[in-house]
Amino acid sequence: MRALPREILVVEGARQIRDGDVVIVGTGLPLLAATFAQRTHAPQARLVIESGVVFPRVVPTPISVVDPRLMNGASRHGSLFEALGGLVQRGLVQTGFLGGAQIDRYANINSTWVAGKRLPGSGGANDIASHCATVVILTDHERRRFPQRCDYVTSPGFLDGPGHRAKAGLPALKVKVITDLCVMEATDSALRVTGLMPGATLDAVRNNTGFTPEAAETLGTVMPPSAAELKLLREVLDPACVYFPERKNQ
Amino acid sequence: MTDKRMSADDVAAQVRDGMTVGIGGWGSRRKPMSLVRALLRTDVRDLTVVSFGGPDVGLLCQAGKVRKVVYGFVSLDSIALDPHFRAAREAGSLEIAEYDEGMCLAGLRAAAHRLPFMPIRAGLSSDVLTINPDLRTITSPYDPDDVVVAMPPLTLDVALVHLNAADQLGNAQYLGPDAYFDDLFCMAAKESYVSCERIVPTEELTATAPVQSLLLSRMFVTGVVESPGSAHFTSCAPDYGRDESFQRHYVASAREPAAWAEFERQFLSGSEDDYQAAVRAFDERPAVAL
Repeated sequence: MRALPREILVVEGARQIRDGDVVIVGTGLPLLAATFAQRTHAPQARLVIESGVVFPRVVPTPISVVDPRLMNGASRHGSLFEALGGLVQRGLVQTGFLGGAQIDRYANINSTWVAGKRLPGSGGANDIASHCATVVILTDHERRRFPQRCDYVTSPGFLDGPGHRAKAGLPALKVKVITDLCVMEATDSALRVTGLMPGATLDAVRNNTGFTPEAAETLGTVMPPSAAELKLLREVLDPACVYFPERKNQ
Repeated sequence: MTDKRMSADDVAAQVRDGMTVGIGGWGSRRKPMSLVRALLRTDVRDLTVVSFGGPDVGLLCQAGKVRKVVYGFVSLDSIALDPHFRAAREAGSLEIAEYDEGMCLAGLRAAAHRLPFMPIRAGLSSDVLTINPDLRTITSPYDPDDVVVAMPPLTLDVALVHLNAADQLGNAQYLGPDAYFDDLFCMAAKESYVSCERIVPTEELTATAPVQSLLLSRMFVTGVVESPGSAHFTSCAPDYGRDESFQRHYVASAREPAAWAEFERQFLSGSEDDYQAAVRAFDERPAVAL
């Protein structure tokens, strides 16, 4: 069994969660990654869901943030006001997972509108990008997704470059972007390629990126999941191929 | 996972001179009285107490633990005034920040949400702005004619609350009709300590009660004290109601120095176990014809 690129992406996302971390996740791939982490290397990972669910033991596999499977074994069932105000803004959540239609070279995120097309909007994304110490972005790697500059900044990364975040009154941030081609990272600077997915090349990354990312001197290759991890991902966490429809054609 | 169980005296030892201590409950309801009594046994002083006040405030004031009280009211519910608080207040020995209840809530919310203030309309044009000269108003940036009170954060060093049940990780549950604002007190505090009627395994908390009854997430709880009956003489529904006859005895004793000395000797000179035993003895006293 060989892992699909997006499966590796999710597993690499899960690896960003250390045991005991407080992490805010929405639904979709981030939730899948968090659930995977809880069932592998980070059994004590403490999840916060923006709807106010605090520290659930997620039952596979919820389809939205109000799915009861997401509330299983929670320590508290509060409100969005509490989750985004009392936890995220207060600074008690270290890591947030986000997606977005556009991620620019300074890791700003657009989930609002692209070229006249309306998208779902911010949700809690701006809160998370404004307050968490680490933001992990999971996304497919397409050129149109990685412009030089977002059409609209829904969630602030490093804005116009070094120092701009602090000037805006926002705390320091570390960003990690994980795609089906590579891993890019930045701290108050432009995103830089630090790792490649198995089989991917730096040229492929640059050809599929709207800006030209710098690369680390030595580029590691992301480790694919073990057979047991893949089995967990496929058979336990996504048996119906909701997250990975591409598996249906295999 | 962390076992956060500790004793009331362990909790009291965390409270140091000059700290700001928020006390949960409401009036004479679900007050963490054993934690308050543990504070009475320490040498701590100069506390700033933030409370929807009841006998917690009265006892701490009487014992000389308090420099300042921040409150919206202090009352024993079925008896309008706490005599110790009234005496301290009228003697002018206390600093006070007397707000409206909603303003207290806004202050706790500002602290819990890491905001520099919370706008609120309550307080406008009242003397609350006169007696609290530090309190500022702010003009809406959207409408120059709209002025509101900018309630500053009530950031707590320590929150003390009492709930019906908890687990050893610090998840805690209320089973009565009202949560009061215990969750907000804990969120506004750097450290929070919860006393409870019983510590149970985590699964038991939600075996017979809905998940919404989990008022406190372990994220906000530093220590848990199992101490049945310890909200006495305030209420802790549905486990027990307020001990009205004892509360009357507290008030009557507080009015007169000799009677208060006797109350202290009888109830406050020993441990929590001694207190509970003295209360049982008080309950069993023979009826005296008046």
